[in-house]
Amino acid sequence: MMAAKRKVAKKKVAKKKAAKKKAAKKKVSTRRRSTSASAPVQVAESTDDVQRLLKVLCDTGKLIDVRMAALQSLGAAAFSVPNFESVSADYIAALREVSTDSHEQLRRRSLGILMRNKDGFAQKKLLDGLKNPAKALLPPEKALQLLGNDAHAGAYSVARAIVKKPPNQDAKREALRLLAADVKSAPMFEKVLRDKNELRENRQLAASALHSLNPQKLQQQALKILKDKSDYSDIKATSLTALEQFGDDAKFAKDKALMLSVTRFNSSKTPAKYKQSARRFLSKYDQ
Amino acid sequence: MPISGDATSVMSEDRFADLVGMLSADPVGGAELMDLLREEHPVYAGRGTATIVQMRGWILLALARIGLSDQALIFVLEELDTGLDAYLIAAAARALRSYSKPNEAFAPFVARALDRIRFHDEPVSFERYGEYATSSTGTSAVSELLAALAWLGPNAQAVQPQLERWRAEHGLSRKLRLDLDRALKAIREPDRAIPSCCGGLPAAGSVSIRAAMESQEPSSINSVLMQDQDGKSVKFLEFFRGKPAIVVFFYTRCDNPMKCSLTVTKLARVQALLGARGFAGRIRTAAITYDPEFDRAERLRVYGRDRAVRTDEDHRMLRAVEGNDALRSYFGLGVNFGEALVNRHRIELFILDATGRVAVSFERLHWDEEQIVARAVETLNGFEPR
Repeated sequence: MMAAKRKVAKKKVAKKKAAKKKAAKKKVSTRRRSTSASAPVQVAESTDDVQRLLKVLCDTGKLIDVRMAALQSLGAAAFSVPNFESVSADYIAALREVSTDSHEQLRRRSLGILMRNKDGFAQKKLLDGLKNPAKALLPPEKALQLLGNDAHAGAYSVARAIVKKPPNQDAKREALRLLAADVKSAPMFEKVLRDKNELRENRQLAASALHSLNPQKLQQQALKILKDKSDYSDIKATSLTALEQFGDDAKFAKDKALMLSVTRFNSSKTPAKYKQSARRFLSKYDQ
Repeated sequence: MPISGDATSVMSEDRFADLVGMLSADPVGGAELMDLLREEHPVYAGRGTATIVQMRGWILLALARIGLSDQALIFVLEELDTGLDAYLIAAAARALRSYSKPNEAFAPFVARALDRIRFHDEPVSFERYGEYATSSTGTSAVSELLAALAWLGPNAQAVQPQLERWRAEHGLSRKLRLDLDRALKAIREPDRAIPSCCGGLPAAGSVSIRAAMESQEPSSINSVLMQDQDGKSVKFLEFFRGKPAIVVFFYTRCDNPMKCSLTVTKLARVQALLGARGFAGRIRTAAITYDPEFDRAERLRVYGRDRAVRTDEDHRMLRAVEGNDALRSYFGLGVNFGEALVNRHRIELFILDATGRVAVSFERLHWDEEQIVARAVETLNGFEPR
């Protein structure tokens, strides 16, 4: 009887062990698969290694994961390899070549690296794509974001056109970001800031842009927004910060309508984080 | 006939390239090509900086085809002295090699350009206008500069130690080693030496200094209203009359550290020299922005402070709040604008006499602080600058 029981228990243990082994095998094979899916990143130690990586990057016969890994290694090599600059021209040539590749991910990364170096080739390609979407290498919002790396890129007119007739909301937001350095766009930012139908994120962007381009205009608009009962709390809070941090002290303390609006805002059902701005303002200016 | 006015401001890039091609084929086209290199030329108005790089590079290459003249030399040296763009520097290096004879005074210009560009070299293509190289099999800025040193041969002996140190560095690419070896071999050949006359730049190479300008005191300068770094308003002639003044131009968003940032830093050194010699109260200084809409008082103040610029009643950072066009025309400024921002400018410093007229100007190449102080003191003492 006892022996039979022991036999059953042994069988159970063996079964458990087998199941464990199976599970462990499964885990290993899954790990192997995932490793081969994202190609290992090779570390370049010399300019000869860099040349080999550049060949891999430009080889359209290689898997995209392998090419992306080569691009990542090259990015690291730019910092770590002694005298990387002696292959800088080869690196730029390779980046320009793959910036028109069929894989969007590769285009995006290579154009990003080029634009951080204010590369004329990348600028031209991105601008051409914004003017003629059939030629676009990247979605308009990404192209605008990259062009924003260079204030001298000559992208303002195309960004203004996108603000007027945006292909999507992301593109409009990025166009506004880019135009935040364009002094001629200050009147447009005033309109965006005052437009209650505009996305609030865009209105916040407009406030920030106006602060940089024409601080007096931001002060004027902020005063109007604070006195407008129907405007949103977050926009009012931004306006309060603008006035409190950068405004004309003496003038505000004497503006009874303004002080009344801020007091009303402070006692409304506004979320506490916005009320903080009102409290700071009142403690500074309320006499 | 010089091309100017609005006609060229709307010129397409294709037409521009055709024009440059036509001028380079014309035996007397050199002067017009040089005219096209003026920064204020309307052909550059409204364009982005990358386009201007291509346009100016194409002109330099055209000058290289016809042979660089004495008068055009300054544009090439300027690019080597302060340029940051690989294409323009490569074109300037190629143009230099078309000059009639090597001169040892060119070597430091090439060496300085090499120092700057070697850390961000680019492949360049000179085949067609507007073309960007997407292969590294052709030339690059560093290759063109090393070829210029090889052309200078023994005239570049002053930079030989610098090249040898570079050649000894570990891990250089094969292509660069070959280019360096070629340049070093040419520099070490003593029998190729062509002695340079008088040990300096050719006479026309120093046209960076101009005596009194012809167009002076147009009545419109009276309308120029300026604001200083503290927000104080002052009329142009209110500030610039009564004492001589040293005036530089800059803008805070300039991304070439060899231009505006260095100019304003050097102005601070000029101020220190004036102070040390007891002239701080007798000679004024001013740094005026090209970009007055963006460079508001606060930005001027911070930019000057970060570069140790002294500011008080006689020494100011300024922007024109009214009459900026009149200001540009009064000084004949070498600047142009893209859609809303400066797209190209030269280095320029002016010494004004006590009536506010330009007595002398220093353009394109970097000026020496001691020389500026000496000229300003001459102006103060009523001497005509030589």
